[in-house]
Amino acid sequence: MCIRNRSFPRVIHKPSPIHQKKSKSTALAQNAIAHLASKSTSSPTPKMSEKTVSKVTLESNDNVRLQIDRAVAERSMLIKNLMEDLGDDAVADSAIPIPNVNEQVLRKVIEWCEKHKGDPVQSAEEENDNRKKTTEIDEWDQKFMQVDQELLFEIILAANYLDIKALLDVGCKTVANMIKGKSPEEIRKTFNITNDFTAEEEEQIRRENEWAEDR
Amino acid sequence: MPPMNSLSGMPSQPLHDDIDNTWNYLQDGITKIMTNLQEGIDLSTYMGIYTAVHNFCTSQKAVGFNQNANISTSAHRGAHLLGEDLYKKLTEYLSRHLEELYIQSKAHTDEALLAFYIREWHRYTVAAKYIHHLFRYLNRHWVKREMDEGKKNIHDVYTLHLVRWREVLFERVSGKVMDAVLKLVEKQRNGETIEHSQIKQVVDSFVSLGLDETDSSKTTLDVYRYHFERPFLEATRKFYQNESKQFVAENSVVEYMKKAEARLLEEAERVDVYLHPDIATALKKACNEVLISEHSAILRDEFQVLLDNDREEDMARMYSLLFRISDGLEPLRSKFEAHVRKAGLAAVAKVAADADKLEPKVYVDALLEIHTQYQGLVKRAFNDEAEFTRSLDNACREFVNRNEVCKSGSNKSPELLAKYTDVLLRKSGTGVEESELEKTLVQIMTVFKYIEDKDVFQKFYSRMLARRLVHSNSSSDDAETSMISKLKEACGFEYTNKLQRMFQDMQISKDLNTGFKEHIQTLGIKGLDSSYSILGTGFWPLTPPGTTFNPPEEISADNDRFSRFYRNKHEGRKLTWLWQLCKGEVKANYIKNAKMPYTFQVSVYQMAVLLLFNEKDKNTYEEIASTTQLNSESLDPSLGILVKAKVLLLKPDGEKIGPGATFSLNYDFKNKKFRVNLNVGMKSETKQEEAETNKTIEEDRKLLLQSAIVRIMKARKRMKHQQLVSETINQIRQRFVPKVADIKKCIEILLDKEYLERLDDDDLGYLA
Repeated sequence: MCIRNRSFPRVIHKPSPIHQKKSKSTALAQNAIAHLASKSTSSPTPKMSEKTVSKVTLESNDNVRLQIDRAVAERSMLIKNLMEDLGDDAVADSAIPIPNVNEQVLRKVIEWCEKHKGDPVQSAEEENDNRKKTTEIDEWDQKFMQVDQELLFEIILAANYLDIKALLDVGCKTVANMIKGKSPEEIRKTFNITNDFTAEEEEQIRRENEWAEDR
Repeated sequence: MPPMNSLSGMPSQPLHDDIDNTWNYLQDGITKIMTNLQEGIDLSTYMGIYTAVHNFCTSQKAVGFNQNANISTSAHRGAHLLGEDLYKKLTEYLSRHLEELYIQSKAHTDEALLAFYIREWHRYTVAAKYIHHLFRYLNRHWVKREMDEGKKNIHDVYTLHLVRWREVLFERVSGKVMDAVLKLVEKQRNGETIEHSQIKQVVDSFVSLGLDETDSSKTTLDVYRYHFERPFLEATRKFYQNESKQFVAENSVVEYMKKAEARLLEEAERVDVYLHPDIATALKKACNEVLISEHSAILRDEFQVLLDNDREEDMARMYSLLFRISDGLEPLRSKFEAHVRKAGLAAVAKVAADADKLEPKVYVDALLEIHTQYQGLVKRAFNDEAEFTRSLDNACREFVNRNEVCKSGSNKSPELLAKYTDVLLRKSGTGVEESELEKTLVQIMTVFKYIEDKDVFQKFYSRMLARRLVHSNSSSDDAETSMISKLKEACGFEYTNKLQRMFQDMQISKDLNTGFKEHIQTLGIKGLDSSYSILGTGFWPLTPPGTTFNPPEEISADNDRFSRFYRNKHEGRKLTWLWQLCKGEVKANYIKNAKMPYTFQVSVYQMAVLLLFNEKDKNTYEEIASTTQLNSESLDPSLGILVKAKVLLLKPDGEKIGPGATFSLNYDFKNKKFRVNLNVGMKSETKQEEAETNKTIEEDRKLLLQSAIVRIMKARKRMKHQQLVSETINQIRQRFVPKVADIKKCIEILLDKEYLERLDDDDLGYLA
């Protein structure tokens, strides 16, 4: 898994000031949500508290509040568990702080969640299998991931933090595809990594991983 | 990444790579969740704790750590995951917390302890769920990795809570908690009302602690079984042992059964209300043992008393109790069988006082009454169980075939049954309703089922059926057919074959008569208004007349015409006239003072006698005998009835009928009815018939046995003597129970006839 890579954290600590403009697909998705939201209010699912909320508000670490559909928010296991623990009342009137994610990334994540809010929940085993088998990414997701490297990594980190497994998978597959077929030098170049191995270290690693070489 | 922010009062985030800072921060939150959750956790704290765990696990330290690590290790393990410190700290925290709870628990006993345990358990597990969620990042990465690598003592955070609870608190207090539970249950068993939701919660808690040591995703019931079920069952046993012992000493068995029944029901309900279903079987078994098995002897002793007094409800209760234990019912069944047999024999003895004049109906009703009574008992008290039905059948077979009445002759049961059937199916004044008749026939079949000598029934039945058909006084064709099909169902086609053929013959005869009438008409002859029945010799149990007979002119003319007609239709068939069964009507025009001529219904013999008086008013016995050619056995009774009815006057008066007597026509004959039936069978006649039937039964049995033996030998070619005998018994048993001596006799006969030969070794061989 790429985020566990030893040199990975270095890359993501580079500051990235670029903010993406609101894309067309996000707007479309929001329309769809508005449509769905009106539908979901007509059949509220009863919960243990008195009120059933259909919308929740998230607050990014740069203090931007975003109101989204409950089903969208619950793509994040973190938020799903939080609502289960604290009840609907707790999130009805106040925003949920997301201290590790800024507005730009949060919007991106929400965009993905909205697109995927209807996806069936896979069982743990199924998910494991699929993930191991394929690096294929669906077309929409591929387009979605066509962002600069900095934002890509931020999305991955946010997905990891918010516990959105499917998004994390898509992100990691994207990075994996960027690595695939490249030499170590090319990889270093792609991800802006300085080679900090000594010659001996590099030789040792090469020897140990000889079995994996394509011949 | 900004390490902190200033959202709504969230405590300041710790430096994410410092375990002590992180832990101090986390501990505040965890303590709040553990001890003070009712005040609620705000969003910021919740997110704060989650974020702190996340940040710690993803902190820079991971890199630094790894750089110092051996390269080969890290290559082997992949990336290093942080979290061990957090996990350790959490474990220590839980142990401390639980230690404190343990100390607190010492202050409580009994119900207070129960309440304490439940309260703390509830609080703890709710908190555990929160913490599990908050530490999800740890679960997802570090814990998962550790478990994937097969570390047995690492659990996900929720399971960790349970494991700590079990080790630190549960192991030390479970005994005392169980004591409190058992005290509470005993209170309830003694009739007090208790808060059983408490027990339910303890059960749930014990069950939750059943963690599979080898696979934390699975649970077992071991902990629950050891700490809850075992002591619970023991206490139950002890309680009921004492209670039942005392109760039996002070109360009747019937009262005890009620008590036991109530207790068993109560315990079953207990499982539903507040125990784990796993205990159901074991608890039932324990209760059955203590409440029933240990008292089964006195229960069974009581059974005879209940039977004698018809205590159906109590017997049902006893049945349902003993049903619960293995081999509980067998002694009951044998007692029941003996009792029914005795009751049956007694019922027969009661009606058998006058065996000779025994009415078939009375006898059959006596048998049926006993059967009905005890079949009802089996149905109502013994759950209509097949085993009890078998006992009933055994008993019935015994008393139907071997009773007081049968002592005079083993054929008596089937004979009386057949006679009763005849009474039912014969046209009679009593006129039984159709539906009533069908019901009674079904009852007849009930008794028939138990009859061992079914061949005897068959003999009598066919004889009586023949009589009903020939005299056409069967009450209804439908009832006859219904009875035959019932017999067919019970004994097969072969058994009723002849009966059916008899029926067919009657039908064919009807058509034949129509044909004959048309034939007469075309000839333009004015004959008698006659009707003939053609009966197949092999199917009808009838014998040719035992006398010569010269039919009067009027009859023989018609007779001959019919014979010619029949022979024309079926060449080569031999007709034998059964004169003894023929009857007719004569009109008496000679009687003075009669407003209307009388009509006499007479046998053909009587008719022959009466027609003689057309010629002259007086005839001597000798004259009559020589003209009719009848021998005295047939002639005397015929004359007897005519004299008795005063159709003929006997001279000299008071003389016995026989040679020397003179008969004259009585012109002053008087009777209330214009149709006078003079064709009445005589007692001696039927008696004789019975004896004859019984004789033919013996002969037929011999033939049946011989044919069975030949059949068997033809199939087997060679057989041991003993084997052949038992095989023959098997084959014949549905018809009657053969005696071994008879079979041996038949084998001898077959040896003489050279169907069989003796071989070495007591073997018999078949000679083709």
